[in-house]
Amino acid sequence: MNLPLSWRFARRELRGGLSGFRIFFACLVLGVAAIAGVGSLADAMLGGMASQGRVLLGGDVAVGLVHRETTPREQAWLEQHGRVSEVISMRGMAYAIKHGAEAERQLIELKAVDGLYPLYGHVGLTPSGTLSSALTCDARQCGAAAEQTLLDHLHIGLGSVLRIGTQDFRITAILTDEPDRLSGGFSLGPHVIVSDAGLKRTGLVTLGSLIEYSYRVAMPSSPEAFRHDARKAFPDGGWAIGDRNHAAPGTQRFIRMVTMFLTLVGLTALAVGGVGAGQAVGAFLDRKRAEIATFKAMGAEGGTIFLMFFLQVMAIALAAVVIGLIAGAALPFAVQAAYGADIPTPTKFAIYPGPLWLAAAFGLCSAAAFAIPPLARAREVAPAMLFRDVVAPVNARGRLPYLLMAGGAGAIVVALALIVAPSPLFAAYFIAGVAGGLVALTLFAQLFRFVLRRLPRTRIPTLRLALANLTRPGAATSSVVVALGLGLTLLSAVMLLDHTIAVQVKDDLPGTAPTFFFVDIQPDQTDEFDRTVHGFHSSEYRRSPMIRGRITALNNVPARLAKVDEGARWALSGDRGITYAATPPEGTEITEGKWWAGNYNGPTLISFDGELAQGMHLKLGDTITLNVLGREITGAIANFRHVDFSNGRQNFVLVLSPGLIDHAPHDFLASVRVPPAEEEAMYRAVTDRFPNVSTVRVKDAIAQVNGLLQELSDGVRGASLVTILAGLFVLAGAIAAGQRARLYDSTVLKVLGATRARIAAVYALEYGLIGFVTGILALGAGTLAAWAVTHYVFGVKFLFDAGTALITVGGGAFATLVFGLVAAWAALSARPARLLRAP
Amino acid sequence: MPAIQLENISLTLTSAAGPVAILRDLSLTVEDGEAVALLGPSGSGKSSLLMVAASLEAPTSGRAIVAGQDITRLGEDALARFRREHIGIVFQSFHLIPTMTALENVAVPLELAGTPDAFARAKAELETVGLGARLEHYPGQLSGGEQQRVALARAIATRPKVLFADEPTGNLDGATGAGVADLIFALHARSRTTLFLVTHEEALARRCSRILRLKDGRIVADEKAAS
Repeated sequence: MNLPLSWRFARRELRGGLSGFRIFFACLVLGVAAIAGVGSLADAMLGGMASQGRVLLGGDVAVGLVHRETTPREQAWLEQHGRVSEVISMRGMAYAIKHGAEAERQLIELKAVDGLYPLYGHVGLTPSGTLSSALTCDARQCGAAAEQTLLDHLHIGLGSVLRIGTQDFRITAILTDEPDRLSGGFSLGPHVIVSDAGLKRTGLVTLGSLIEYSYRVAMPSSPEAFRHDARKAFPDGGWAIGDRNHAAPGTQRFIRMVTMFLTLVGLTALAVGGVGAGQAVGAFLDRKRAEIATFKAMGAEGGTIFLMFFLQVMAIALAAVVIGLIAGAALPFAVQAAYGADIPTPTKFAIYPGPLWLAAAFGLCSAAAFAIPPLARAREVAPAMLFRDVVAPVNARGRLPYLLMAGGAGAIVVALALIVAPSPLFAAYFIAGVAGGLVALTLFAQLFRFVLRRLPRTRIPTLRLALANLTRPGAATSSVVVALGLGLTLLSAVMLLDHTIAVQVKDDLPGTAPTFFFVDIQPDQTDEFDRTVHGFHSSEYRRSPMIRGRITALNNVPARLAKVDEGARWALSGDRGITYAATPPEGTEITEGKWWAGNYNGPTLISFDGELAQGMHLKLGDTITLNVLGREITGAIANFRHVDFSNGRQNFVLVLSPGLIDHAPHDFLASVRVPPAEEEAMYRAVTDRFPNVSTVRVKDAIAQVNGLLQELSDGVRGASLVTILAGLFVLAGAIAAGQRARLYDSTVLKVLGATRARIAAVYALEYGLIGFVTGILALGAGTLAAWAVTHYVFGVKFLFDAGTALITVGGGAFATLVFGLVAAWAALSARPARLLRAP
Repeated sequence: MPAIQLENISLTLTSAAGPVAILRDLSLTVEDGEAVALLGPSGSGKSSLLMVAASLEAPTSGRAIVAGQDITRLGEDALARFRREHIGIVFQSFHLIPTMTALENVAVPLELAGTPDAFARAKAELETVGLGARLEHYPGQLSGGEQQRVALARAIATRPKVLFADEPTGNLDGATGAGVADLIFALHARSRTTLFLVTHEEALARRCSRILRLKDGRIVADEKAAS
């Protein structure tokens, strides 16, 4: 092999232009642009969040506590490190005061801030002004800044009065920008900011209420040193410490997961394009057979021939990759121009080399993986073919080293995808699914042709001609089935998954979930609350004591050091609701162990979620340490339960035996179902009588979740279209490649007396059949993939959707039909004489 | 030492209809500097014999020694190196590389052989065949006769020991074909390269020193040409 010489020849060959490589080029540009664009956008968002970390968090570090404020010693320790700002967050009910009485009401996310808030960034208010002046209290009222959605919901405006708990607040400003909102998590209602003094007047702050305290510290020292010192100073403090480098871990993880999925979709587009690339390279080399043979006759070695054409293909691939990278790098700027201020995260628009390198590597390696096999076959062209077509058969698969080289390029793609994926297991399943799909579709395409060839000859001439077209040498059947089939498989899998989850959330969940959740029922309110609820035709009423706490150790090993599977780590990352019960709550399904005796009063025992226990490698008798209100409680696991979070009912990961936990200050959580006709009446009754109780209307929460899911699924479906587009490119390429044969066929058929309608019917039948069969196959593969995900990942019942079936099968048939007939139009329009006169 | 020595060469190809015997136990010796014409009807095995002798196709059995080397023992890449060092071939259909200029086409075998002044020598060869003014023209911009002259310049550029020509005038009109034939024989006379010419034209064959007649894969006549 002589690299400089091969490159010299390759350069001369490239003068022939891109003819035959347009589809290869387009697919590569599309795949690379998608991967580079998604990666660049994600980096822009993550980069923005990183650079704004202290603004998003509200400080360089934030110490989170549930149910309690800092002790004086803790407060003093924090103040030694820098300026400390306290932010108190809770859910509550806001009542519009109209004509002196409570009118409409709404669940809100209430935030009380001190005079230092925000330590970083600034709060957006309309009309503009300082936050402290907007929140000022006088003897009767305090000021509040609320989101416009609350005002809309309660039909009030600026200057109106709200009642929260027992305190009235005048809305002095509309909250337009809350710098630390992203780190606050999921919102169930509009946000309202009041002063800490105002909150105290509401009467909602009682020991045991579900209140989160956050202490933000602006400090010069590093967050790592702070964490280290905090662990030493307050080992049992139950502090949840966030820092500016991980300001919104949930959002950051979400962005990384979506990026991974979209990158994998981009890779699928590259795989679909790869099928077309293999076809294009194969067809190109078929046209070059005489040249290859000539080179060989002049003494060129096989390696030189391979390298010469490999360099050409890779030069074209490189040009496509560069264009794809330019398009991808420009995507964040295009998004900025199109959406600007609507982007929910701080975004730093720039060129990010990381995703560009990655996309380039994906593009070039995919191109090599798909192009090398036909190049290896071309290397085997015998020079004797210059004299006649019948020559000794060549090695049809190419030599092993070349196939290993192709496999190596493919392996690099897979390895890179796994390395950069935040969830390598998901990426591995996805890639295995795509690879399996490619193999299955290829085998099916061969089987399809095999079966068609062996069908008894039909007496319907149109059908006979259509079937003959599908099985003749060089027919586009295989490439269309594989390329379009893979895209349609992905689309149908995504649509079926979307349908299953949407039905669960929108239709099934309301059938099993309660109508209301009531949070923060005080112990002295329980009897009256029960009576109020029972005044309606309520069912499935359940009221449980609830206190929040963190799991701090498993078998005395600190939680951060414990060996825990990825899928179970969430349970250690924040506060969990804890309840206690003497007897198993209704509907409890114990999977292992036994419940404690009804009169048990010994050391704390724990009933734990069996599935989580597996992820935490816990067995009966193991200990779990909880931090509740700054105190450590250690208990032994007495039994495991099956906890089903998908039904939307009250569920607790941790149920403790009474005896210790019931002495801690706590309140109650209740849930109930009422007939729709009584829903509004119960809402008003409870909110009228218990202004301190936060009433969560489940259908509102479901609607909110459903809205988020809808946005997500729209995005995912949109991304899947990239793969469909690549499939259509390949389809167009395959049809275009057969255009000459089409022209010849139609000319001969016309000479033999076939009308244009008859010929068009042959083509319609041919392309419609191939598209229909591809759609059916893709639907089958997509259904299998969607079933596997719903069954093994989500653990819910799979639901088939006829609409998806229609789109997949009908879309497949329609696309091939349209592309095929458009291409055939030229052939149908050609006059036979012109072609017959041609030399 | 003979330029070409074929011993008991047989060639059988497989086809859908079964094996086809192309060459049957054929032996032949061509001396260095000889000009040999191979005549015979279509399907007699002329081109196949040329392919075996030019190391483009391996015989099913027998031994072929060309330019002193037993080419039946060489692997694919060794055969390629053998061809670029010892063999030049002119095809009926020219087989020029369409994306390369006349100069580049002629330079290819020299470049493959690692000749340092490949382009200077290619230019000289093209001038020899009368195409000094067509160096930068692509094959598509040349007439059939000009293309065949480029092919001839390319075939002789490496100073091969044996020049194979397969129906070199077959795709050309009479006058142009005659011009190309004159050139081939002039170059042969000047360089004393062994010439192995496949043709169906009796007149062209008679310009060689020896005529072999082939029928059904066997040499049926081996005669000295009258000229």
